[in-house]
Amino acid sequence: MGAAGSKLEKALGDQFPEGERYFGLENFGNTCYCNSVLQALYFCVPFREQLLEYYSSNKNVADAEENLLTCLADLFTQISSQKKKTGVIAPKRFVQRLKKQNELFRSYMHQDAHEFLNFLLNELVDILEKEAQAAKNDAETSSPPEKTANGPKNPQANGVQKEPLVTWVHKNFQGILTNETRCLRCETVTARDETFFDLSLDIEQNSSITSCLKNFSSTETLNAEDKFFCDKCCSLQEAQKRMKIKKPPHILVIHLKRFKYIEQLGRYKKLSYRVVFPLELKLSNTVEDADSEYSLFAVVVHVGSGPNHGHYVSLVKSHNHWLFFDDENVEMIDESAVQTFFGSAQEYSSNTDHGYILFYESLGANNKS
Amino acid sequence: MINTANGMISTSSSSANAQSPGLKTYFKTPEGRYKLHYEKTHPSGLLHYAHGKTVTQVTLAHLKDKPAPSTPTAPSSSFSASSGVRSAAARWLGSGNGSRALGFVGGNGGGKSVSSTSRMGSLGASSSSNSMTNTNFDGKGTYLIFNVGDTIFISDLNSQDKDPIKSIHFSNSNPVCHAFDQEAKDGHDLLIGLNSGDVYTVSLRQQLQDVGKKLVGAQHYNKDGSVNNSSRCTSITWVPGGDGAFVVAHADGNMYVYEKNKDGAGDSSFSVIKDQTQFSVAHARYSKSNPIARWHVCQGSINSIAFSFDGLYLATVGRDGYLRVFDYSKEQLVCGGKSYYGALLCCAWSMDGKYILTGGEDDLVQVWSMEDRKVVAWGEGHNSWVSGVAFDSYWSSPNSDGTGETVMYRFGSVGQDTQLLLWDLEMDEIVVPLRRGPPGGSPTYSTGSQSSHWDNVCPLGTLQAAPSIRDIPKISPLVAHRVHTEPLSGLIFTQESVLTVCREGHIKIWMRPGVADSQSSNSETVLSTSSKDKALLSSKVGSSSYKQ
Repeated sequence: MGAAGSKLEKALGDQFPEGERYFGLENFGNTCYCNSVLQALYFCVPFREQLLEYYSSNKNVADAEENLLTCLADLFTQISSQKKKTGVIAPKRFVQRLKKQNELFRSYMHQDAHEFLNFLLNELVDILEKEAQAAKNDAETSSPPEKTANGPKNPQANGVQKEPLVTWVHKNFQGILTNETRCLRCETVTARDETFFDLSLDIEQNSSITSCLKNFSSTETLNAEDKFFCDKCCSLQEAQKRMKIKKPPHILVIHLKRFKYIEQLGRYKKLSYRVVFPLELKLSNTVEDADSEYSLFAVVVHVGSGPNHGHYVSLVKSHNHWLFFDDENVEMIDESAVQTFFGSAQEYSSNTDHGYILFYESLGANNKS
Repeated sequence: MINTANGMISTSSSSANAQSPGLKTYFKTPEGRYKLHYEKTHPSGLLHYAHGKTVTQVTLAHLKDKPAPSTPTAPSSSFSASSGVRSAAARWLGSGNGSRALGFVGGNGGGKSVSSTSRMGSLGASSSSNSMTNTNFDGKGTYLIFNVGDTIFISDLNSQDKDPIKSIHFSNSNPVCHAFDQEAKDGHDLLIGLNSGDVYTVSLRQQLQDVGKKLVGAQHYNKDGSVNNSSRCTSITWVPGGDGAFVVAHADGNMYVYEKNKDGAGDSSFSVIKDQTQFSVAHARYSKSNPIARWHVCQGSINSIAFSFDGLYLATVGRDGYLRVFDYSKEQLVCGGKSYYGALLCCAWSMDGKYILTGGEDDLVQVWSMEDRKVVAWGEGHNSWVSGVAFDSYWSSPNSDGTGETVMYRFGSVGQDTQLLLWDLEMDEIVVPLRRGPPGGSPTYSTGSQSSHWDNVCPLGTLQAAPSIRDIPKISPLVAHRVHTEPLSGLIFTQESVLTVCREGHIKIWMRPGVADSQSSNSETVLSTSSKDKALLSSKVGSSSYKQ
């Protein structure tokens, strides 16, 4: 371990980024799903910085009651404050807390990294919302710090929830989808908004993320058994439906639906399809022409041929270097090595390392929301 | 939908892109059917561990009877199909197919059951290759040169044999790019660039004459990365009319210019690159050194380079997403621009030098106008990255009888979506969409947007930012055809055909409408080897060897 660390330090030499820490995470028996996602989140710099900031400014709250948020903040603080630049850390408290919190993750079975990410982000939001609510009840005088930051942006979430609180987790990951339905009789367009932390995309063999996103937003016709009730026509009508991105998130998380339920088999099967993802991406399925560019900074990779076993690793871009995190081990890799995680064009391939969750960060920070 | 092969099931959502069968052996265009004529591949038993890491490229090489003393005919470089091809084709097709039966045994790869026989087939092919070589080497012939793993294979374009007639192994590193000089009057005509950065020049004829499996009579450059710290070769090309000069592009963003008539690398050192972000050209300090110049083009890899047919301009595309066009002799940047997003992977010139095609990771085929110095059209139709683009210089527009004032171009593209797309580009039809204005909004005249200076040609020597999606006219493909089961890596137009190649080293030759018809039933037999009744037909052709 120590040797591996020094190897990475040697590889980076004097290019080792100032103040950065590259630490592997110990595996407590099938906790690679957790480790791989944690590394991706740690190297999501705005998220990390805001978490650390939150932690340092809410120290007293953290002492009071342990929850997943404080455990995560504690872990990130632990990593970032290490004296050594590389090494291994045991995310023991976090994993224990996770297992306490959710029975799904309690067993030693192989878990789904996407499910974990989703659970974690929602849990963090819940905790922050509860805290804000408590603070509000405590003293009406001081307003919660996050709420007003993005003032004019708030009304857009109309009808989603009553007075949604925009936490820093939202600001990083939340985007808004709009589900447009056009009645083919009266041409009225009904739009329904929903928020998301990640986009789950259906995949096809030998396709690209661009193409999967296009399919995600392709027009679907509602007819026959599946007609749409038009409020204006007051009856069931044929309609066209499509999903568009109304507000692109700052951090775009894309989940490839590699685990597919096969009815004939009565179980899930892993799709090893080759789906290429570019290092830079733009969303073309937005309501307005956004043209804002995203840059890939992390990939959670599923290793293995089936859904119920295997392993998770992650690729992370930090200060223009790509790193490979495999539980305890951290290695430097060439940017071109990212290509080896696209998937296989043939069904029976020896390569089973497939990109599963992609993390893109928006480059045009001021450009768009 | 159940696909019961080996008990595995593929779902209906995937069936559109299902593995292997279902590939048609023809596709229709307005001018008629293109038919699969021949397939070329390599002995599958030779796949090495490192195989997956290199992508197959294919080069077309036409060896003439004798070194032509005169007339460097219009388009120099590799693709001169001409009448020589036809006569050669006739020769091969005319001969009985008894002796060629072995070629079929290699089969279409795919199933495990085939692999044992295909190894057998490959043995047969290699043993027969010597005699083939001897009959063929100093006659005229058109050859396909392609790299797979650590090997360069050479196939006879016009024979039915699937298997190559020659293989050249590289022990040190994998060959990744190559180029052939059609007009070489003497000496070496074939360039080979390696993953290790090493570069070789050889004589193709000499390789065909030799019976061994090693490169013979080669000149070796950048040995052990002596010039550039072993940065991978990415693209290699002869300078048209350059009297033996050639350019090698590397993954570190540099290009090196060599001269084949000069002795191998002497001491070639170049000044340190002062600013990695800036384009710069450095000349060798010593007159004896080879390479003679280093062009620092960009940060990150140069993925592909291409000379205009007159040799005046050199286009490069790379990891940073920029197309750059240089005046080669002046060593100056003329123009260029960025992709919509992501790296650019390939580029190609029109014959008249007016347009450049690029393809890349935004799934788009871009048409760049040299006159306007900007992107004039985006081709939308690929479902994955665009890995190969080419103009069809043999195609003549139906209204090109001199009266029509519109110039039409035909071009093709291949992608990692396994598709070949054909496109027609009619310049008059392309309307600037900005004039229409977006529905319900005012045109964006924001700073840096292309639209604000649509009418002004961009200043010389500047690079343009990525265009906005609204500002570029879109075109749709004429034909989209799935040609392989693997992602594609390139295509070449010849007078008689379109050639497609996939990353794994399988080549298909699609005869143009009219051409294949005249070549009768023989080609039909070849076609059917890839379809379902393959076993039946190939047993008819060469039953004894197939049954093994």
